[in-house]
Amino acid sequence: MFDSRISVFMGMFGSGKTEISLNVALELKEKFEHVALADIDVISSYFRSRDYISELERIGIRLIAPHGALMHADLPIITAAVYGYISNETYSLIIDVGGNDDGAVALGSLKVALDGKDVRTYFVLNPYRPFTDTIEKAVEHISRLSKVSRRKIDYLINNANLGNETTLENIRYGERFVSEVSKRINIPVLATVVADGICFNAEKFPVFKIKKFLKTPWDIR
Amino acid sequence: MAEKVMVKGNEAMGEAAVRAGCRLYFGYPITPQSELTEYMSRRLPEVEGTFLQSESEVAAVNMIYGAASTGTRVMTSTSSPGFSLMQEGISYIAGAELPSVFINVVRGGPGLGDIQPAQSDYFQGTKGGGHGDYHLIVLAPSSVQEAVDLVQLAFDLADKYRNPVLVLADGMLGQMMEPVEFPEFRDLNTLPDHSSWAMQGCEGREPHKITSFDIDPINLEKMNLGYQKKYREIEANEVRYETEMIEDAEYLLVGYGTMARILGTVVKMARNEGIKVGLFRPITLWPFPYKELESAAEGKKALLTVEMSMGQMVEDVRLAINGKMHVDFYGRTGGVVPTPEEVLRELKKIVERSE
Repeated sequence: MFDSRISVFMGMFGSGKTEISLNVALELKEKFEHVALADIDVISSYFRSRDYISELERIGIRLIAPHGALMHADLPIITAAVYGYISNETYSLIIDVGGNDDGAVALGSLKVALDGKDVRTYFVLNPYRPFTDTIEKAVEHISRLSKVSRRKIDYLINNANLGNETTLENIRYGERFVSEVSKRINIPVLATVVADGICFNAEKFPVFKIKKFLKTPWDIR
Repeated sequence: MAEKVMVKGNEAMGEAAVRAGCRLYFGYPITPQSELTEYMSRRLPEVEGTFLQSESEVAAVNMIYGAASTGTRVMTSTSSPGFSLMQEGISYIAGAELPSVFINVVRGGPGLGDIQPAQSDYFQGTKGGGHGDYHLIVLAPSSVQEAVDLVQLAFDLADKYRNPVLVLADGMLGQMMEPVEFPEFRDLNTLPDHSSWAMQGCEGREPHKITSFDIDPINLEKMNLGYQKKYREIEANEVRYETEMIEDAEYLLVGYGTMARILGTVVKMARNEGIKVGLFRPITLWPFPYKELESAAEGKKALLTVEMSMGQMVEDVRLAINGKMHVDFYGRTGGVVPTPEEVLRELKKIVERSE
């Protein structure tokens, strides 16, 4: 499903980019020897890919993020190593971008490095989030973030969910919603994301099953 | 879509304020609550409200003072160091008896600290913080939905008692996403009428005076006695708390905010192992549920208070228990969040000691 050498996940704040990036990294690791995940989220202070560094490294996925104590900072740091993994053809690379305009600016700074490479850019949508709860708002944000990040978006991803309370109807609503967005801006839909524990068989789009990484401290692990 | 939405705590508290009829926000961004400031900057213009980013938290709190003097619903939000900067203004606002809402999304301290979740601003919120004999009403939500509900309540209590109200959250609550249902928009025409005291133009009537100042000590004491009378009324009417499985419990856990969510998991884990434990969760930190906790603790073998601090609320727990039993404490601080497993280990030590 994610078959380019470099996969970029962007979207609005809290749309599910990190959850999807982590899962895509796991899936690619089953097929390829060298997989790296670049956390270029410069705006979130909690719930980031870098919080799972030991889990990822145990299964041999390289996590590219600010090192040492700097990983706890909400500072606009993109380590130079990202450029290395973009040009290293032996690596499958996933880029987890921060949300909103500020996150997209960070992605834009990689334009020169990414141009000409085998890259696909995915825009993650959850219509239950406040800033993308209407077709009009979603279209506006996608167009604007595409400009800010200086990237053409190749596919939309339906990540309609209400966390632990997600129902099949929520997912179906997401499929209808994202289809409509897709029609308006002429960008195809790649997949519908379904979290483990939910039994949803493919209807409109292929299903990408994910295991939930991001947990609150009271979830029993 | 009138149904549930998936919202971050910070965004949820902003939307809840808008729906409560708040159209004025003054504040300055600080992690881990900046999404709230950002949310209001987008949202208030949509409802013909005013968002203003101040040059600092000192400026913000004085803007709140001015706006609250007109009897209009007004709020700010910040995180620990920013809330420290606001203390002088909050003391003035409490003295001038002005309704206003503050949200502190607490992070690790003291000083600059860090940006991870903490509960080490409990003393500051409940025991003063600024100078003088005053109290804030302090509400501590433990879920995003409860944060929405308590922000609404905060505006109502602020208006009812003409008193600043603090919603004491923590970084975890501000940053995490949960499904919530928002209440309907409050009709602005139904908001309480403050024309008897507020600064709303004095043409044709005696001017109103809003101040926390009186140079005559007898008069200032009188003003203070008035505040105290109001505080006793709040203590009598506004205590809120929740319990979980306390009836048959031999042991009692006490915690507030997101810490209480972790303790909820501990209760389940412990009961699976045959330890009968219950949870007491204060929702109002001031007024603190002293009597209610005292009776909940009756007949229990031991009581463990857990906080994301080195022990602040535990002092109120000990006041409630009043020496009748030993009160144990476990805490992590500096932005470290205790895991259910480590709290269970602490609980087991107490169980072993008590059997």
